[in-house]
Amino acid sequence: MLVLSRQRDETIMIGDAIELTVVDIRGDKVRIGIEAPPHVPVHRKEVYEAIRRENEHACALTDRALHDLAHDIGADRSGGKSKLEGTATPVRRETA
Amino acid sequence: MNVETTRFGPVEVDDDRIITFPAGLLGFAHYKRYALLQPDEEGVFYWLQSVDTPELAFVVTDPCLWVADYQAAIRSEQMEELELNRIEEAQVFVIVNKYDRTLTANLQGPLVVNIHNRHAMQLVLAEKRWTTRHAIVELAQPVHAASA
Repeated sequence: MLVLSRQRDETIMIGDAIELTVVDIRGDKVRIGIEAPPHVPVHRKEVYEAIRRENEHACALTDRALHDLAHDIGADRSGGKSKLEGTATPVRRETA
Repeated sequence: MNVETTRFGPVEVDDDRIITFPAGLLGFAHYKRYALLQPDEEGVFYWLQSVDTPELAFVVTDPCLWVADYQAAIRSEQMEELELNRIEEAQVFVIVNKYDRTLTANLQGPLVVNIHNRHAMQLVLAEKRWTTRHAIVELAQPVHAASA
């Protein structure tokens, strides 16, 4: 691991397009600003790891019986309507 | 196109129904193309099947069926990346997991699909309210697990 020391307002460049800036240091907490192109995802590692692990666990499901069971649940819940069209959109634009 | 799958054998999928994740899913960056399989008309669970590798598939579901006030926050640059002009053009799925007799949904890592161009991404939500293992169903009887 490359270890660099930075003070407040100093920046590290990764490649040509990624910049990390120390925005604030308060006690043992560092606020880091990240500039990166939109196609480069940036996450807190522990959250990334939790989602990655869930994905890996999820793709190990080979249970064909799951969707027979799901049929019963679905019929109760949906009344047999098609799910793919016409559901409310659970997305909102994040501000700042 | 014909898609080979380990769970369902060969499946015929219209090319224009293929969902493309330009960045793949977290931990699966190299697998970008998926087909949404609906095993039966009335089911609430779909399979998101990789078209590039037969054994890779995820059970997904519409989070609105399970969590009434669920909302995924998407940033402007993410909307741009998906060419999403309006949030109404987005369809959201969450990946389903099974732990013992509980089915859970990963609400913290939802999949957002642009219904027009079928480009998609897995979001990582910052809100602590949504967890990676939100319980959605308690299975009444043991389901014979084919996997560990």
